[in-house]
Amino acid sequence: MRQLIKRELKSVWHSPWQLALMSYIPLIGVLALWWLFSAGLPRQLPVALVDLDNSQISRMLSRQLSANSVIAPQSFANEALAIDAMRQTKVYAMVVLPYQLKKDLLTGHQPTIDIRYNSQFLLVGKLLSSQLQLSLAEGLTQIGQQRLLLNGATKATVDVSLTPITNQTTALFNRNNNYVGFLVPPILIALWQLLSMLVFVNSLNKELILLQDRYYLPSNIGALVVTKILFYSPIMLLHGGFILLWLYHYLGLPAAGGLIDLVLAQLAMLLALWLLVLVIFMAMRDGARTVSFCTALFAPAFAFMGITFPVNDMPELAQWWRLVMPSSHYIDSHVSVISYGAQLPQVLTQVSSYWGFLLLLPIIVLLAHKAKQVPRSELAVTTAGQEVNQ
Amino acid sequence: MNFWQLMLAEFKAILADKAIVVTLFGGVLFYSVLYPLPYLQQVPTEQQVVVIDHDNSSLSRLVTRHADASAKIHVVANLGSIDEAKTWISNGKAYGLLVIPANFRRDLLLGKGATLSYGGDASYFLIYSAVAEGLVAAGMDASKDVQLIGLLSRGQNPQLAEQSVNSININSVPVFNPSLGYTPYVVPGLFLLILHQTLLIGTGILGAGQWRKKGYWQHVSSTQLVLARLSVFLLIYSVFSSFYLGYCFYWYQVSVAATIIEVGLFMLPFLLATGALGIVLSSFFMRRDLPTQLYLLMSMPVLFVSGFVWPIALIPEPLVVVSQVIPAVPAIMGMLELNQLGAGWLAILPKWLQLWGLFAVFICLAVFAVAQKQKQAIGISS
Repeated sequence: MRQLIKRELKSVWHSPWQLALMSYIPLIGVLALWWLFSAGLPRQLPVALVDLDNSQISRMLSRQLSANSVIAPQSFANEALAIDAMRQTKVYAMVVLPYQLKKDLLTGHQPTIDIRYNSQFLLVGKLLSSQLQLSLAEGLTQIGQQRLLLNGATKATVDVSLTPITNQTTALFNRNNNYVGFLVPPILIALWQLLSMLVFVNSLNKELILLQDRYYLPSNIGALVVTKILFYSPIMLLHGGFILLWLYHYLGLPAAGGLIDLVLAQLAMLLALWLLVLVIFMAMRDGARTVSFCTALFAPAFAFMGITFPVNDMPELAQWWRLVMPSSHYIDSHVSVISYGAQLPQVLTQVSSYWGFLLLLPIIVLLAHKAKQVPRSELAVTTAGQEVNQ
Repeated sequence: MNFWQLMLAEFKAILADKAIVVTLFGGVLFYSVLYPLPYLQQVPTEQQVVVIDHDNSSLSRLVTRHADASAKIHVVANLGSIDEAKTWISNGKAYGLLVIPANFRRDLLLGKGATLSYGGDASYFLIYSAVAEGLVAAGMDASKDVQLIGLLSRGQNPQLAEQSVNSININSVPVFNPSLGYTPYVVPGLFLLILHQTLLIGTGILGAGQWRKKGYWQHVSSTQLVLARLSVFLLIYSVFSSFYLGYCFYWYQVSVAATIIEVGLFMLPFLLATGALGIVLSSFFMRRDLPTQLYLLMSMPVLFVSGFVWPIALIPEPLVVVSQVIPAVPAIMGMLELNQLGAGWLAILPKWLQLWGLFAVFICLAVFAVAQKQKQAIGISS
């Protein structure tokens, strides 16, 4: 076994790409993706403000808007200009304060404030829509307050009769709606899964033996695979651990549970991933095709995790496909440990959701057995073929 | 070998390579189905919420019923305490909670005011926003009900009372993607990225496979080879682009604002620049399985830096500047503005020119790189 590990080490040493995949590419990838989202909270998003009224009230409302940290109002003289700016993504939303807003309010008519938000950029649009409404509502209550006070209501009753029910909304587990805490962990896990898959596939592809246009496996493939699992799992776990340490220790994102439990979940995910890759590898037995197929399979893993779009609302087929991805099993444990503070027993129950992957074991053994049957007469060519393949 | 024969040879080389055929034809088809699959239902609806009703009055039950009536929310249980709700949420049986305080109705009737508390699981933003929107709307509705009853009981005329409760209308409407659907949001940008990545992979594998072997590519000038290769890939990708931007956009209900000529004009420099970049980079690959791996790892960063998921203003400046040399980055934003937001041609002209500029640079590099490869190959064979 020690010899096999030494052999593995040697082959990694002689392959610069494999070495890169295991050392600096994960680090650069993780840090670059985090840097991209490092702003965390969307702030100062440009919004077009068309004030057709220019009254005391409309100016008060625009001050109200600029007081909101998410909104950065920019004044536009008319709607046409604001629409143009919106089409060119210079602003993400527009607010039109109508002509004679103040007069209508004073004379008991019902003026309409128009908000248009860019829903092509869904996340930004939704955020702006709710923040704009919040800020405007806040401003409008002030107007209502003045009116009631003028009518002779006492200060104490004013608040209650304006808003008898106050709302208190709490974002559980991610208090300030931080995008780093929400989006970055699943993205990094998806990247980590891709990297692990590539590392494993590359090392497996090295073992293929070419014989008369067909690839075969060496007779000791069982021991080789076990060695590879023992060799690559700790290395990739190190990178997984780095992601956790970076996010929850260095950046100090809130984590309710223990990170050690997550390392365990990561190990389970890696093992499931290895099994899946082994099946594909044994079935394909061709370097480039295995890479292509695994790529096609794992590239969309992020979409299927169910973080950006809820799992319950996915069609049945997507939910099944989701179960094939080891990363979606892991992300469930991740959320329950980080958000809900799940303990080890709960994590272990979640890990048992991988049971379906165990069914792959007999398939792998069967495929490996078939692939090992090198025609005897051609054994002599084996070594030569192997060299060509390298 | 004239140019047409060369193009034919290129085309044959592409079709003869199984890995390229699988990536180009298989990948483009497969991804057009697989990527939007999770999002087919467009909007999250009926999120599970638990209610903790400490009041148990007619009004608190009304609030609960109103919340349940919202399309965004499904009230799954009425629990006794917040602790119980906690276990429901951490077991994944609910994503939000609504707490109605004790003496809710009494306080309101006495004119004291009351507070409704909502909580949503913000580990999932779309779920959180659905839960919050649904519950806040239900709460506002109840609030207006109470106001109205109060005003009526003080002898207000109903019409006036209605008006003073809703003294102003806020008319908030989503534009460009009126249904707030998820596929119209993801598909336009993502599909351009898929075209970009598969084109890079295709040229990469073709190059990496050829440089080691003797072949027709040695017998023509490098300019001719690059031009022929670009033309062939352009032809293939005009078919793929028509399928993606035409049929798939229609199928996934993406709003389309530009004319077909404008889209074609914009796609031309994008495909040319991408193809040229692919040829340049292909000269760095020695093994045929490398292009797929490298471009796979690059796809997520390119997608996020293009600026339709996360606003460009919030992405660190150095990343934005560096990413401008990747054809997909100006192309995705330009295409969104042109085709989805309906900005005129003048607005996207700078991005169009940028793509032509990238093409000019890349094609010079490509001719140089291929010439270099041809020289090396001669050295090896002689």
